[in-house]
Amino acid sequence: MSTQVHANLTESQVEQISEDLGEPDWLLETRKEALAALEDLDMPDVIRTPGRTWTNLDALDYETLVDPLDYAQEKDRIDAEGVDVLSWSEALAEHGDRIEEHFGSVVDPQRDYLTALSTALFSAGTVVYVPEGVDAEDVKIRTTMNSKSLFNYTLVIAEESSSVTILERQTTGDEVEGARYYSGVVEAVAGENAYVQYGTLQNLSEESYNYQVKRGHAGTYATVDWIEGNIGSRLTKSNVETRLLGDSSESQIVGAFFGHNDQHFDIASRVWHEAEHTVADLVTRGVLDDQARSVYEGVQDVGREAWDTSSYQRENTLMLSEESEADASPKLIINNHDTEASHSATVGQVDEEDMFYMTSRGVNPERAKNMLVEGFFVPVLEEVAVDELRDDLDDLIVERLTA
Amino acid sequence: MSSDQDHLKETDTEARFEFKKEEKSAFQTEKGLTEETIRVISEDKDEPEWMLERRLRALEQFQQMPMPEGWPGAPDLSEVDIEQIVPYIRPDIETRGGAESWEDLPDEIKDTFDKLGIPEAEKNALSGVGAQYESEIVYQNMQERWEEKGVIFCDMDKAVQEHEDIVREHFMTKCVPPSDNKFAALHGAVWSGGSFVYIPEDTTVEMPVQAYFRMNSEGMGQFEHTLIIAEENSEVHYIEGCSAPKYSAFNLHSGGVEVFVGENAHVQYSTVQNWSKNTYNLNTKRAIVEADGTMEWVSGSMGSKATMLYPATILKGPGATDNHITIAFAGEGQDIDTGAKVYHNAPNTKSTIESKSISKDGGRTNYRGLVHISDGAENSSTSVECDALMFDNKSTSDTMPYMEIQENKVDVAHEATVGKIGDEDVFYLQSRGLDDDDAKQMIVAGFIEPITEELPIEYAVELNRLIELEMEGSLG
Repeated sequence: MSTQVHANLTESQVEQISEDLGEPDWLLETRKEALAALEDLDMPDVIRTPGRTWTNLDALDYETLVDPLDYAQEKDRIDAEGVDVLSWSEALAEHGDRIEEHFGSVVDPQRDYLTALSTALFSAGTVVYVPEGVDAEDVKIRTTMNSKSLFNYTLVIAEESSSVTILERQTTGDEVEGARYYSGVVEAVAGENAYVQYGTLQNLSEESYNYQVKRGHAGTYATVDWIEGNIGSRLTKSNVETRLLGDSSESQIVGAFFGHNDQHFDIASRVWHEAEHTVADLVTRGVLDDQARSVYEGVQDVGREAWDTSSYQRENTLMLSEESEADASPKLIINNHDTEASHSATVGQVDEEDMFYMTSRGVNPERAKNMLVEGFFVPVLEEVAVDELRDDLDDLIVERLTA
Repeated sequence: MSSDQDHLKETDTEARFEFKKEEKSAFQTEKGLTEETIRVISEDKDEPEWMLERRLRALEQFQQMPMPEGWPGAPDLSEVDIEQIVPYIRPDIETRGGAESWEDLPDEIKDTFDKLGIPEAEKNALSGVGAQYESEIVYQNMQERWEEKGVIFCDMDKAVQEHEDIVREHFMTKCVPPSDNKFAALHGAVWSGGSFVYIPEDTTVEMPVQAYFRMNSEGMGQFEHTLIIAEENSEVHYIEGCSAPKYSAFNLHSGGVEVFVGENAHVQYSTVQNWSKNTYNLNTKRAIVEADGTMEWVSGSMGSKATMLYPATILKGPGATDNHITIAFAGEGQDIDTGAKVYHNAPNTKSTIESKSISKDGGRTNYRGLVHISDGAENSSTSVECDALMFDNKSTSDTMPYMEIQENKVDVAHEATVGKIGDEDVFYLQSRGLDDDDAKQMIVAGFIEPITEELPIEYAVELNRLIELEMEGSLG
């Protein structure tokens, strides 16, 4: 048992947070249970190979990283017509029963140590409620962390035949001495024939440790699509997951990262096919410069009853520097033969012939390389259906290349 | 094919693979594993002091080490009971050093081997056979011209006596130390029998060198050790085949294979294993390849209750190459967890892994592999391809590759596919007059062809027959 228990974490702090938000008793109870569970919970699973642990989450000193009662943030929310985009206190007042029904139903509040910590301490976040039949294009959330630590919790409920596109930006604001900690949990429930697209652009300061769990449940004919761009943070441990629970449900998980300096991105995309005629497509591309390291896990799990499954996964990493490291483990777990499944992963460098082609046409090598790296992301950018997110991500990539 | 022929083929194949003989054992240690057991084995073999010391140290390591843990989806080894293993059995034969020729073998052993098709292999003018019946090589035949060239092919026990220096230098030191994993440590403590192959510089052995291993004693383990040393510019193909009858008692097979591929040398190690359905097959196989050398692993894993086997190659010298071709077949109640490990530790190294698996009637296959490219191993390339075929929704087919890439001047590609036998393919063959079973068998035969074409003809035939046996009657 390697997990540390917060000595500086008390029940009264949790009660304080809960009171600030004006929460009902059931939520306070859920928080307290999560707090009590910390003693027995392990850190999130990480990949281990002979003699190596790919990401060492035990090495972080969460006591100095987390200040439970100091949570300063800025939140901008832009809602669309017919959709409720609310803070937790507003949402609990307005949709108390719905929240009680769905909270913790997708992401287990005690999934692991860091998730339970988030359940106990979350103070910021958003509830997005999309009523039946409502079509909502542009819900935007911008979270700026101004304190040492911030626990952000987002719940998305999309009723039958509704659709919503949510774009979330995560940044750090005020300078804070030393390392910082950001935790983001997203639960998405897509009802029958509903469509949820959730895009995140993470550009936290490079002193920040970032833990994310995004998980969706897709009902019959429903689609849950995730887009995640990781540019910032010192260390990111991210999980993006969909359970395809209804017949003919679909999910696409698109990921992009660009690491430099000594950034460490541990990124996982996972999908569970649990019904008939389900489709999943996992696409991730990343670039590494300097001493940056990426760790990728992709899991396609096809259940016993998942007849007529289609499941695809591809992951490509480009290494720009001698000192970088790219680790990858794409996994297939198939329990039904009526499946078409494939995965592929590649690691390499900027193609020499492409470089030669461009430099021979008078493009200077630095610029040629930048163009090729930008071009490398195109297949992922093409999968991003939200124009604004695509442009932002592209801007950040160019900014990093020319820094 | 007429039904008469079908029947003949079936009974013949059944007879070849599912039979059991009363064995006579000259010497058998008590069940269980103690320091005393180890001393008895070593003494009976009249081993030098250093080998006894190594065994005892390995035993100590075995007792301290945990079972393999923290592996997602690893086979259940909770039934592996070391106390129930009889580590050492020697067949009752007149000559301790092995028989001179086939005729010198006791009828009982000859009969066993007949059913395994060894005489056919012999008739096919194969140049050397060391056959291990239980834990010891009892029969070897080597062509004179090899001996003139300085090629050594003998059983491992004999090598400890007669080639002491070279064995002492290479035996479980640099390649597979007992500390590698719990079952390597067990192997180091109780190993017995196996082959020693030494190919001097600039020597090519044109014929495959072969050894057969079997288990034929209830509750008995097999811990044979194979040590292959191929010096600079040499070339050899070593083949090991296994086929075990069904038992009711529990069995453990924990072999060890160490291969040293010298500069510009070429070694191919091929094996088709068919352990009985109650055997736990836990092996450690590893090769170290010097500059410009080539290692090739060809393995077919059939049978066993659970198999964990990941032949590993360390590409130590610049320009070294490693190729893996593996096939796994899992039927009812079987968990075949196999794959490959490759470490690229030098520039311009190259590896390819081609894995095929078939799962059926509730069996599970898993490809578990690691490709590691160290910092500085520039211009390395690796390509991994895993294809799995599934017959029903009771079965499981998993793929769990791991890639650790610490060098940027590389070309790394991994691909995997899983699918069922295509209805269209079956329809195509049926419309040309094949019945459903034959069509499926033909598709499977085509699916595993990359493996069978690497094997000498009688092995390819054996592998195809084994798979036919597995598929017979329960298709469609």
